[in-house]
Amino acid sequence: MEDAVRAVDLSKTYGTGPAAVKALDHVTLTIARGTVAALLGPSGSGKSTLIKALGFVSPADTGEVFFGGRLVVKDGVPLADLAALRRRHLGFVFQKANLTSFLTARENVEIACEFGGKSDGRKRARELLAYLDVAGRERSYPEMLSGGEQQRVAIARALANEPSLILADEPTAALDSVRSRSVMELFRKVAHDRGAAVLVVTHDHRALEVFDVLYEMEDGRIRPHQQERPAPAAAP
Amino acid sequence: MNLALRDVRRHLARFVGTAAGLGLLLSVVVAMQGIYAGMVDDATILTRAMHADLWLVQRDTRGPFAEGSRLDPSVEARAAAVPGVRTARPYTYQLIQREHRGAVMRIALVGLGWPDDPGRSLPLVRGRRLQQPHGEMIVDASLGLGIGESLALAGEQYRVVGLTKNALTSGGESVAFVSVADAELIAFDQPAEAAVLERQRVVARLRRTDLGRGQPALEDLATDSRWRAPALASPPVAAVLVQADPHRIAEVREVMRSWGDVSVYSQDEEEALLLGGVVQRARMQIGLFTVILTLTAAVIIMMVMYNLTLEKTHDLAVLKLMGAPRTRLLGLILQQAWLLGALGYAVAFAMGELVFPMFPRRVLITETISLVAPVATMGIVTLASILGLTHVMRIDPSTALEG
Repeated sequence: MEDAVRAVDLSKTYGTGPAAVKALDHVTLTIARGTVAALLGPSGSGKSTLIKALGFVSPADTGEVFFGGRLVVKDGVPLADLAALRRRHLGFVFQKANLTSFLTARENVEIACEFGGKSDGRKRARELLAYLDVAGRERSYPEMLSGGEQQRVAIARALANEPSLILADEPTAALDSVRSRSVMELFRKVAHDRGAAVLVVTHDHRALEVFDVLYEMEDGRIRPHQQERPAPAAAP
Repeated sequence: MNLALRDVRRHLARFVGTAAGLGLLLSVVVAMQGIYAGMVDDATILTRAMHADLWLVQRDTRGPFAEGSRLDPSVEARAAAVPGVRTARPYTYQLIQREHRGAVMRIALVGLGWPDDPGRSLPLVRGRRLQQPHGEMIVDASLGLGIGESLALAGEQYRVVGLTKNALTSGGESVAFVSVADAELIAFDQPAEAAVLERQRVVARLRRTDLGRGQPALEDLATDSRWRAPALASPPVAAVLVQADPHRIAEVREVMRSWGDVSVYSQDEEEALLLGGVVQRARMQIGLFTVILTLTAAVIIMMVMYNLTLEKTHDLAVLKLMGAPRTRLLGLILQQAWLLGALGYAVAFAMGELVFPMFPRRVLITETISLVAPVATMGIVTLASILGLTHVMRIDPSTALEG
């Protein structure tokens, strides 16, 4: 299966001297399209730093990032228009939904389509909201939506430009177990239906069977998760 | 999708409230500029309305508006006799304060040289010029008197026959025009008590002189209430206004400058004396205050714009993370600044239309102010948004990923 993103030997250090903290320590990772990967690990293990590096928000100090087979960041130096890459090929889902407060649910998705150069943003936004079962709330502002509804809208927004990679940073932290599982299954559905690669940072071990691949981070190093996990659930 | 309008729609009440506040602030700035312009215009409108080529005033004084000027009435005839002079008219000017219908009125009383000058040059908006030398007056509409209404002055009733608009002094007092004879009558009016005391002083003087002691009948005459001692000379006038043949003004002026009892000023010089002397300090004060107020408004607008941007920091970080083009985010701030400026100016304009006419001093919105104010407002809000724009540029999209 085609690689969505490949990180090779990423390292990043915060601070200098004795106070220096190595957030990424020679991390190498590949996520193929159509795969849902979980990134586990305690707080401070470097998960968010890795997400920022893979999302072209805050590059690593050293190492390379390939996107769709193309080298786009080398040793912290961008070799492509990273904002344009984010616009067209990446989707983000956050711990809090982080919807734009002054836009309705539909407009939150529509603006992402617009940034990605999609001409039929409104139609696509409606389709995505329907796909994620929040079609009835398209005119609601974020503060009028429940936490689960907000996350669904955020996922719809992340899907707006048919991204090759979706990065989700603890997307279920604010949700109860039922909604949490529902959101995780949505990621699986998206990955399998639409061929996107999904990397989910999570502390939540209740729904690990949803993921195709499990990684664990500790002290800036990454390794495959050793814990035996249940068999993957069938795609909905 | 216009993000600026979407944000305004979501926070409409707060945005309109901010625009209204900004509008009130701008209306104060415009009012100060209008008062400044009004003061300059008021200072010159009275002299211009007289349509004089030359002003003859008491020697070494600066004319009736700056200080007391007493000119012998014979100057009028002397001036009229100079070759090249078309007309010479006496002119008096005094400030009086009277009560009318329970309200205090401050009036600048100007005497017109009847019959040559019945107020022909005055900018009448209603009524007519003076048609008789006594008992008629033309007043400025700001006094609140109507045509046909009478005002009691010096024991006589003066009927309003004409109304002018914006005939005000540099101090903002409304002007009333009467004949010079009436102006002098009003100026030299004495209350009954003062008349009695004056008669007693005359009697006392007569008793101290051989003339009085030798002619006792004089004392009887002096105490008779129907008699008044004749003045030794006609009452002085404040100025004589001269109109000359256009090509002979310089020549006429040279002749008059040689007279030992008058100073001669052209119309421009008289205006310059007014602006440079009487209103200069007030003008500078208001001018400086206007500058400070404009700067204050700019700083306040800047802080308002900055706070509006700060409140959106998280939303902007999320949009940046999604790859929003920088121009879209900067456009959001700039468009809101312009909208705020436009709404604020509309509020200021409406306030001006409603409130400025009620100001005790005239607020003159000149064509320059009308054109410059909206442009300046948009310029100020654009500059004021610089802080906000800088903030947008500095927002780190990775902050959207935190918490």
